[in-house]
Amino acid sequence: MIFKVAWRNIWRSKVRSFIVIGSIAVGIWAGLLIIGFSFGMNNERTTSAIGTTIGHVQIHSAAFDIEPITGAVLGDEAAVNELREEVERLPFVAGTAQRTVLQGMINSAKSARAVRIMGVWPEDERAQTTLPLTLVEGDFFESAGRNRLVIGEKLANRLGLKIRSKVVLTFQDAEGTLSRASFRISGIYKTLNATWDEFHLYVHHEDLEQTLGAPLVHEVLVRFTETVDTDEKTVELAEVLPNGMSLKSWKQVNPELGFADDMMAIMLVLVLGIIMMALLFGIINNMLMAILERRRELGMLMAVGMNKRKLFLMILLETLMLGFVGGPIGIVLGDISTRIMMRIGVDLTSKKEGLAELGVQSIIYPEIVPEYYIIIAIMVVTTALIASILPAVRALKLNPVEAIRGQ
Amino acid sequence: MSTPVIEIKNLEKVYEGAVPVHAVNGINLTITEGEFTALKGPSGCGKTTLLNLLGGLDKPTSGSIEIGGVDITTLSENELIDFRLRNIGFVFQAYNLIPVLSAQENVSFIMLLQDRPKEEREARAQQLLEAVGLKGKEGQRPGQLSGGQQQRVAVARALASKPQFVLADEPTANLDSTSTANLLDIMEKLNKEEGMTFVFATHDDRVIKKARRIISIEDGKVLSDE
Repeated sequence: MIFKVAWRNIWRSKVRSFIVIGSIAVGIWAGLLIIGFSFGMNNERTTSAIGTTIGHVQIHSAAFDIEPITGAVLGDEAAVNELREEVERLPFVAGTAQRTVLQGMINSAKSARAVRIMGVWPEDERAQTTLPLTLVEGDFFESAGRNRLVIGEKLANRLGLKIRSKVVLTFQDAEGTLSRASFRISGIYKTLNATWDEFHLYVHHEDLEQTLGAPLVHEVLVRFTETVDTDEKTVELAEVLPNGMSLKSWKQVNPELGFADDMMAIMLVLVLGIIMMALLFGIINNMLMAILERRRELGMLMAVGMNKRKLFLMILLETLMLGFVGGPIGIVLGDISTRIMMRIGVDLTSKKEGLAELGVQSIIYPEIVPEYYIIIAIMVVTTALIASILPAVRALKLNPVEAIRGQ
Repeated sequence: MSTPVIEIKNLEKVYEGAVPVHAVNGINLTITEGEFTALKGPSGCGKTTLLNLLGGLDKPTSGSIEIGGVDITTLSENELIDFRLRNIGFVFQAYNLIPVLSAQENVSFIMLLQDRPKEEREARAQQLLEAVGLKGKEGQRPGQLSGGQQQRVAVARALASKPQFVLADEPTANLDSTSTANLLDIMEKLNKEEGMTFVFATHDDRVIKKARRIISIEDGKVLSDE
């Protein structure tokens, strides 16, 4: 019956209870939207970086990781093929791509910049990355010709380069001798990661081999079937690698992506914490009002023999019930709103340039993150529990004689 | 000879302040089983303080109150709460029913606090409400009942815990004459038929006339005991 009393008590002042329940629901709804939006934005950024350029994991020789010199290759062609076959046998691996990676300089008529030269096997890149889809001009080594170069738009602009512009690349060969080769811009790409675009350029591996004398494979990019549990998969993948090779997960290759993930998790808990704090004070205020209004009744209950434990339980239940009503409403509203936005997207075209700098598209598609529903449910219950303490203590401190008299 | 239910010895209650107030000043009293007693006196004479002390709602400055052989002045706060629940029935001037519960639930609630089984609670609540003339009103909430009916529910609630005695503080103060007569008849009937001990604090002549023992109090002392 204490449950019944508690339940009926919260409806004694309907307006007040509706306001508290409404604020709980709106707080949770807003929290879920923020979570969905943040995850959508961050995941899009991560997925874009993984899919376009870095893959889930990169395999290098251990020497390359210490210093990315031209001689630090993964092995000869047969060894690399064997490695790729071994890796592709793993059930969670969708595919691999091999690359030559050189540190070098690009010289245009206008300027020079330090760059990373990616010697690619175009069919591998097309199969395992979406970089060829990011071309804003030209093509990704589809057209015939020699010494073609695909450059990021940002770098092209800095160097004053256009399609068919001529540049000179300087890099070391396997013996450490500096070599020079002329290339002509055949494509300009633009990913969501402006930093990548400014530092990486792509050439056909065959064109590099003309200068290097042999195919040098420094990197094997590995793409998983999906971007979940990548840490566990990376560990599993490491077990099949021969000695002398090392693995770098996407978080190691692009630490700011992993850092953004961790930071976002902390930020979201903080945001939820702030929302819960606001709710906490709202609930405490409501319950204190309720206790004040029911002093006479609570005094009577204490006088006739309701012990402190039961009185505390009754107030605790009233507070929890507010949370139990408001919480699910907020979660359902948040879920529905997020699902709607997942379909239509949140259009932030007006902030397009700023978002591009962050590696995010101008239309954000929020995501549902089920774990946060559980976190929110726990936080609501905890908030209600904490919120009940002060009103309950106030009630327990009532003097029955004075309370019955209405003093 | 009747068994003593309440034995008060040298009871004093002093409210400290710039000028200490002796609300109860050396009272000695014995109330026996089956009494229908009124404590009368003008406002501020100390009768409500005495009633609060008898009900274990307030602690005396000195003296003792034995109820069924237990000196309640020595009990801790938690022990007192439990003692009140099992031994004392209360009827308040302003009824003090729980507005969100029906008449039957209000009566049952006390038994719930005593952890009595549901069937027993329901049967006794039904029986008590019938005894106070509220058969058919069991499902109505306090707001749907008249003042007299609410006070009858309060009497039924006071009896629900099967107490040793019932303390009633100005139970008729908010009632019209018909409701007062009705309520007093019911309490008198419960007193005579079930032997329930009633102690009233009142200055209502209608109650005093019904009482079989009248204790006059003035300045915290017993002036007369008839």
